Amino acid sequence: MADRFPDYDVLKKRDTPSWNDKTREAVEKRIATTESDTLTEPLRAVLRKLVDRIVPQPEQRAPVNAAAQVLEKIAANRGDGFRNARMPQVREAWERGLKAIDAEARERHGAGFAALNDASADDVIRALQNGDVKASEWQNLPVDLFWNDRLIPDIVSAYYAYPSAWSAMGFGGPASPRGYVRLQANRRDPWEAAERKDGHLIPAGERNLHAK
Amino acid sequence: MPSEFQAEPRAINGRAPDVFTPDGWVPMRGHADDKEVDFLIVGTGAGGGTLACKLAEAGFSVVAMDAGPYWRPLQDFASDETEQQKLYWTDERIVDGDNPITMGANNSGKSVGGSTVHFAMVSLRMRPEHFATRTKLGYGVDWPICWEEMWKYYDEVEKTLKIAGPVRYPWGPKRGRYPMRAHPMNAAAEYLARGAEALGIDWTETPIATLSAPHGKAHPCVYRGFCVTGCSTNAKQSVLVSWLPRALKAGAEIRDLSMVGRIETKNGRCTGVHYVREGEWRFQRARHVVVAGYAIETPRLLLNSASDAFPDGLANSSGLVGKNLMVQLNQAAWGQVADEVRSYKGPPSLAISEHWNYADMGKDYFGGWSYMSQGPLPISWAKTLAGGHGLWGQALIDEMARNNHSVGLKMVGEVLPDERNRVTLADETDQYGLRIPRITFSHSENDKAMMNHAVDFMDRSLAATGATERWKEMSDTCHLNGTARMGNDPATSVVDADCRSWDIPNLWVCDGSVFPTVGGVNPSLTIQAVACRTADRIKALAARGEL
Amino acid sequence: MAASRIDIVATRLIAGGAAMLASSVLADSGLEHYRGSFANPTMVLPLGSAALSIAVNARRSGKPESGGSEAPTISHVASTAVGLIGLGFHVYNVTKRPGGLTFTNLFYGAPVGAPASLVLSGMLGGIADRLSKGEEELGPIGLTSGRAVGGVVSVGILGTVGEAALLHFRGAYHDPFMWLPVTLPPIAAISLGRDVIEDTVRPATTVLLAATAVVGILGVGFHAYGVARNMGGFRNWRQNILAGPPIPAPPAFTGLAIAGLGALLLMKARR
Repeated sequence: MADRFPDYDVLKKRDTPSWNDKTREAVEKRIATTESDTLTEPLRAVLRKLVDRIVPQPEQRAPVNAAAQVLEKIAANRGDGFRNARMPQVREAWERGLKAIDAEARERHGAGFAALNDASADDVIRALQNGDVKASEWQNLPVDLFWNDRLIPDIVSAYYAYPSAWSAMGFGGPASPRGYVRLQANRRDPWEAAERKDGHLIPAGERNLHAK
Repeated sequence: MPSEFQAEPRAINGRAPDVFTPDGWVPMRGHADDKEVDFLIVGTGAGGGTLACKLAEAGFSVVAMDAGPYWRPLQDFASDETEQQKLYWTDERIVDGDNPITMGANNSGKSVGGSTVHFAMVSLRMRPEHFATRTKLGYGVDWPICWEEMWKYYDEVEKTLKIAGPVRYPWGPKRGRYPMRAHPMNAAAEYLARGAEALGIDWTETPIATLSAPHGKAHPCVYRGFCVTGCSTNAKQSVLVSWLPRALKAGAEIRDLSMVGRIETKNGRCTGVHYVREGEWRFQRARHVVVAGYAIETPRLLLNSASDAFPDGLANSSGLVGKNLMVQLNQAAWGQVADEVRSYKGPPSLAISEHWNYADMGKDYFGGWSYMSQGPLPISWAKTLAGGHGLWGQALIDEMARNNHSVGLKMVGEVLPDERNRVTLADETDQYGLRIPRITFSHSENDKAMMNHAVDFMDRSLAATGATERWKEMSDTCHLNGTARMGNDPATSVVDADCRSWDIPNLWVCDGSVFPTVGGVNPSLTIQAVACRTADRIKALAARGEL
Repeated sequence: MAASRIDIVATRLIAGGAAMLASSVLADSGLEHYRGSFANPTMVLPLGSAALSIAVNARRSGKPESGGSEAPTISHVASTAVGLIGLGFHVYNVTKRPGGLTFTNLFYGAPVGAPASLVLSGMLGGIADRLSKGEEELGPIGLTSGRAVGGVVSVGILGTVGEAALLHFRGAYHDPFMWLPVTLPPIAAISLGRDVIEDTVRPATTVLLAATAVVGILGVGFHAYGVARNMGGFRNWRQNILAGPPIPAPPAFTGLAIAGLGALLLMKARR
């Protein structure tokens, strides 16, 4: 699909009153996050493929380092404040989960998950989502809980923590000290994203160049 | 990933952070561990922070401890969902039951100021009848406090928090004017209003605890929309910026990064608390101990403080500590509209209908609910779409790109007390060596009937405004209450109406744990009202020599 | 007929007041209509007519005796008309919002009182115009006695007070000085109204009008302070100029009060 918010980039607001120091510090650190060597390389490859299929990279925008962020969370074994009684901790859950996904891929398509074509990989993912799994590795990891408590929240949280993902959805991005003035429907502040085909005289791309 | 947590205590050596000034300090009275303080309060959120202020102003010596750090919002808070996870209680908790509760961001805070630092600021009064549901409406249990008294304390809290609310509130008995005027409505709120008008029910601007005009050193709201990740402008009237500066001025000591692990008792009375600060276990002596850790940590501490004299935990002769855990239903209806709504602007819930809190006809269940307009931030919205709506891959990315046209309505619904929903101790221990809580929760048939009615109604409201591609989010909860309920009978409650435990006369509980029932409104205003009342009762008891 | 010295000064004051009022309207509607994204193309009209009004009234104030062209008349009629049309639009903007005529919609919808300032500016400008040409009547209304101008100013101040009262209520009167424009100017307006009805000039009225003019100027300072204390202060001016208290609004009081002083001069001269 064509980008709805052509030439809009929340990073252009980095040096405006929309971003405070703490925000710049946090976002810059995140952008700089690279893949740690936690887990084995084959499991990292499974994770990369999985992330790529769950949250495809934005077209014509900076790639999101979602896999690196998930690995960082796994390395820190950082939980969210709750753990289902039938689930292991973060690191253990991901290790078991990635192994089970790889086994599921071999079971269904005769090859490791990282090596599958997109359609076959999606087929495996659908099986996880529906709880319709065959590999014996799932016996020590409830697939529904892995999907709902780990796979989905961890991956989409990492992806939508990245500025180019915010830009692609026309989100205003960080906003402090400057917030917003025009709160009514179909009104935008000049520092907000303009949407393609919103009926305005000046093209959205043109307006987005000045959205900062 | 969130950056490193504030690792060193800030409120130390006779000073505490000034929340209104970057790098600023205010003086703070210190108390030695071996000197007995009048009140040791565990937790500085809506219950503990409020009580600390009121007791210090009444002349008692007060030390209030919090496991979390002492933030200066102006310099410490980013406009970023991930970074601001530092506000949440993310220590491990085990969840189980038929409907295990999602903990953390949504319902638990680990900061001085508690979860009010990241609450959505919705400040509602419980309907009068909801303080006596058994007598008036035939379900649940009655509060041991009458509604007239609670409404008097609501006045006090609303005044302190400078609640911005409508000039005329459509439901319930007449109330005084809110201290500040309502905020302008964003487009998401207008959709609630138009839907309610189409369905012929009342709606209004939500009374919220964020400034619509300057107050002291705090700025008015700039409508940045990151409210539930912490307010970086101090417009939000959290306990951190409202009650606690007053508490410090009145001589209270706030001890940040102090995790209380155990309450010590001797001869049937509390003598103080064991707590860990700067990696070291210490003991603070106290004449009275108030537990205000919210509905999970409060029962956890009481249970973890079990001793030979109290083998089932403190204040637990009724066996009810940890039982009757009540969340609130948080189901939603979502849809797409042609308008650019951009619900990321402004506080998330600027319009509300409490119609179904006050209407009793037309329900096939007990209890009330309200619903509010919504403004989810990107990560929260992505988790909703991927979790509740099952989207992933390009479908998820494409739907996210339409976020500026999404509108939603979300309920806050009453869950009835049920002893099977409870907090117990798991065998595992945390970084302090303390047993972690196990939280067991299952929805009742009553919950399910309420959910169905509410999401159908909200869906009809969206339909009436022309929203298409509508869908229903059926699995979400919010808030935590119960687990140390108040009552008139020591056999069926943990504390009395004054929040004083029946078993140990110098042990008190003051937070959402004491709620016998929850109503269909967000609990923070009621928790603060209970704390104000408790302070007044303590003053009165002290004056009579009955403390 | 040659105008007397006093008439000339009075005309200066009335035209000057009208110019000041138009300046307030131009700046305020410029900001507010920019906030409203000029969603309706007619939102540029008050800017044009207020700008024109400033020009002709300033010229009249500078050269009270110049007679001549039709331009001033066109400008004053236009201001009055645009103001009246704006009034209609603003009422519609408020009532079409969910809830209709509620406080919140009056607070945050298009301000109903604002276009009325343009009407007032047009009326005062028109009167100054006629006075300078030596015309003593506008239809059945006698102008030279000053009572007509006084009446317009008195009603105008009361209307402006209403607007300030509403918006300061929105701000919960959080600063005690916010009571100033809703207490002092109404006294001035009532005193002026009484003088008009009784056709006398009390010294107190002059003092009160002068004080009202000062309040309008002080208001600019207070409002600027209000903008500065919002989050980000003037560094965040793109938000705070719009979201904070409107800096150009208070001089409306000053403009009206100056015109009122002109009316008093005329009334004194005719006694």
